[in-house]
Amino acid sequence: MSKITLGNESIVGSLTPSNKKSYKVTNRIQEGKKPLYAVVFNFLDARFFDVFVTAGGNRITLYNCLGDGAISALQSYADEDKEESFYTVSWACGVNGNPYVAAGGVKGIIRVIDVNSETIHKSLVGHGDSVNEIRTQPLKPQLVITASKDESVRLWNVETGICILIFAGAGGHRYEVLSVDFHPSDIYRFASCGMDTTIKIWSMKEFWTYVEKSFTWTDDPSKFPTKFVQFPVFTASIHTNYVDCNRWFGDFILSKSVDNEILLWEPQLKENSPGEGASDVLLRYPVPMCDIWFIKFSCDLHLSSVAIGNQEGKVYVWDLKSCPPVLITKLSHNQSKSVIRQTAMSVDGSTILACCEDGTIWRWDVITK
Amino acid sequence: MPGIPLVSRETSSCSRSTEQMCHEDSRLRISEEEEIAAEESLAAYCKPVELYNIIQRRAIRNPLFLQRCLHYKIEAKHKRRIQMTVFLSGAIDAGVQTQKLFPLYILLARLVSPKPVAEYSAVYRFSRACILTGGLGVDGVSQAQANFLLPDMNRLALEAKSGSLAILFISFAGAQNSQFGIDSGKIHSGNIGGHCLWSKIPLQSLYASWQKSPNMDLGQRVDTVSLVEMQPCFIKLKSMSEEKCVSIQVPSNPLTSSSPQQVQVTISAEEVGSTEKSPYSSFSYNDISSSSLLQIIRLRTGNVVFNYRYYNNKLQKTEVTEDFSCPFCLVKCASFKGLRYHLPSTHDLLNFEFWVTEEFQAVNVSLKTETMISKVNEDDVDPKQQTFFFSSKKFRRRRQKSQVRSSRQGPHLGLGCEVLDKTDDAHSVRSEKSRIPPGKHYERIGGAESGQRVPPGTSPADVQSCGDPDYVQSIAGSTMLQFAKTRKISIERSDLRNRSLLQKRQFFHSHRAQPMALEQVLSDRDSEDEVDDDVADFEDRRMLDDFVDVTKDEKQMMHMWNSFVRKQRVLADGHIPWACEAFSRLHGPIMVRTPHLIWCWRVFMVKLWNHGLLDARTMNNCNTFLEQLQI
Repeated sequence: MSKITLGNESIVGSLTPSNKKSYKVTNRIQEGKKPLYAVVFNFLDARFFDVFVTAGGNRITLYNCLGDGAISALQSYADEDKEESFYTVSWACGVNGNPYVAAGGVKGIIRVIDVNSETIHKSLVGHGDSVNEIRTQPLKPQLVITASKDESVRLWNVETGICILIFAGAGGHRYEVLSVDFHPSDIYRFASCGMDTTIKIWSMKEFWTYVEKSFTWTDDPSKFPTKFVQFPVFTASIHTNYVDCNRWFGDFILSKSVDNEILLWEPQLKENSPGEGASDVLLRYPVPMCDIWFIKFSCDLHLSSVAIGNQEGKVYVWDLKSCPPVLITKLSHNQSKSVIRQTAMSVDGSTILACCEDGTIWRWDVITK
Repeated sequence: MPGIPLVSRETSSCSRSTEQMCHEDSRLRISEEEEIAAEESLAAYCKPVELYNIIQRRAIRNPLFLQRCLHYKIEAKHKRRIQMTVFLSGAIDAGVQTQKLFPLYILLARLVSPKPVAEYSAVYRFSRACILTGGLGVDGVSQAQANFLLPDMNRLALEAKSGSLAILFISFAGAQNSQFGIDSGKIHSGNIGGHCLWSKIPLQSLYASWQKSPNMDLGQRVDTVSLVEMQPCFIKLKSMSEEKCVSIQVPSNPLTSSSPQQVQVTISAEEVGSTEKSPYSSFSYNDISSSSLLQIIRLRTGNVVFNYRYYNNKLQKTEVTEDFSCPFCLVKCASFKGLRYHLPSTHDLLNFEFWVTEEFQAVNVSLKTETMISKVNEDDVDPKQQTFFFSSKKFRRRRQKSQVRSSRQGPHLGLGCEVLDKTDDAHSVRSEKSRIPPGKHYERIGGAESGQRVPPGTSPADVQSCGDPDYVQSIAGSTMLQFAKTRKISIERSDLRNRSLLQKRQFFHSHRAQPMALEQVLSDRDSEDEVDDDVADFEDRRMLDDFVDVTKDEKQMMHMWNSFVRKQRVLADGHIPWACEAFSRLHGPIMVRTPHLIWCWRVFMVKLWNHGLLDARTMNNCNTFLEQLQI
């Protein structure tokens, strides 16, 4: 368990918008009556940077972001199970470059959709409870990692449908896992956080042979020697409440609890003694009216800014490149009153999407001067 | 077996009645082989008899309540005593005169003070007075004789010597006693007195006459006739609580009395309660030939003949017990009826057939084949070690029932054939394996189907159509019987059916919650509970890495030992010596190459020895083995 080192006071950002950039609402779509929990741009394939996917209810919908604020629906999938409620969605890729969409929700079954053939490629069964977040390893987009209410994190190969590793047990999370994220450069490393207020950093280095094996596995996926990883390399307690979103920012981590702020902190791991280390909180990005759980933030591909919605339907956009933190802008519209569950920033940050609990998608586009 | 053994009969020599008793002709000629087989079948008696012997031995100190009661009753019944009857034999001839004497009181009284006190010549104490009312009593009830119980002859001899006991005859009828107006009925109560006629017979004289009679102690009746002279006297009666006293004053002047009356009294005595009345009872069995012995022992009432049937009831061994004793536990059952209750209730491993004729009482004993043969001959377990061996039969039956029941309710798919095919071991093992242990897998889909069991003898199509559990049960009941004939076919079919049921449902691995392929469901291997050694090794190494003050070699040694202990499941202290030897053999070649490791291992063994977990001999063995490798 790491400690917060004293002496380095974290710097809190000012809530006065700098208005370096300004955005305006260019579109609003009412997808349905059911709340939308996830909206994600495709960052994996340069051909489809404009394409985004939403998840809500038993429905997964793919859209294309066109110029002039137009949005066109591409595909829509409805799960045969009416009870399904998708909480999360992520882009992935087959080995031949086919774009996949992996979505999971209350049923705990992960549906992998082959977008090209418009069919379900795999249904990944294994989680004992709902899936709260799915993320894809950008360096090997066949690998997805899932955070679940069953207190485990699983690593899957969506191409072969194999459950490679299970991160749970003695050193694992003690409550629902809410968020996971792959390290941007270290392919073995990922972070997870959850309701047990901790953020854990895991390493798959020792088990990488199994990851490789999963690509060449031709036998039945259920016969794969799935391994349990019980101990993370690092456990941080920098929050005191549910941690519902974490993202790597280089070797630093952006994480948010239900205390109206996003923290940027540095995990300081000791090289030869896993489990030990310290964490240093560097910056704080205040987000007013954001103290309910399951509100997730997003960054653009270059990690230059972060966008997060709040309970009142407003979006805060913070500059990640400045210290002390600078609030780029606050997006608000008199009709946007519903809780924004997740935002999505386009690759260059020029478009911000916000999906709301009332089933609407808002599109904000940057105003070019 | 206890009791008196008789010749193992080829029943030809026996009388007709005996032959009737053992109705099948056992004159059958048997070859030597058959003889051996017969011997073996007789030996089947050994185990139940031995069991009953054990039970009997345990019951010696603390006998059953019922048997204790019975014992007291038998003892009381067999207590020797003399029944004495007194009546006036000359009463009818004497006519009127004697008639006058009635009512006549007869008392068995004891002289209190031999010396006359004051005016009374003698004081007698008595407890009971019998009234003889003669032909016609006052209340119409005629009482012609008085009965007394006396102790047996030996004890009576003491009484007789003391001379204090006597039989008193008292009659108020003939005396001039009107002035006192004694009501004869009052003699029993209150302190009264009056004139009367009296006489006595001392017991001493009776005893003498009984002693002379030769047949008295054989239970024959002895009659003594004596003439008693009734003399007038004055008596006074005192009654103090239980004891009653009568004081007799013989008048000094005999003239006052009227002519004395003579009465003829017959006293007959009989000894009762002796165990045997037969004259043979005093004989010993030694000097009598066995054929006549059979005759003798049949004559005695308590003798019971036991015929032990064996060799499919073709042969029998016979023995006789006395006093209605049980041949197994030697309990005396008091009567044949008692034996009849005792045997089936206490010795229920055997069958009993009771047989009573005028000449004898016999019990035919045979083994209960259905319970015994299978259980007794199943294995050669000494019943001394397995005392509760026999009760297991019942448990088994119950368990079978519950198995059938549970198989109807639960998801034990392979059970249908397992319960019914006890004999077909090869198959039952197979079906056991293909069965799904309920703890290992859980099912998410089709939970409602778990109540359905496949009845044997129905086709898979039937199974799918009948969802109603009652319907399934009734079919199961009716097909039970014919199942035995069509066993072989049904096994194959039920196997197929189990398979099809397994195919219909999705199973999941317990740890990974991954869906199981059908192949895995049907395979013998189930590794879900096994420890993942790769991960465990990895974690062990990481844990050891945390130690700062331990050298690399020590860490490696620790890791080797930890993983060895985990893989070999060394759990108890007693496993340690084996583990040390095996560890030396397994890792010997590696340790020999790095001397640091071998020293770590030796130090560790010394530690184990310090804690008393490892003996010196094993430690020596390990070290010599390692030395041999080093050369």
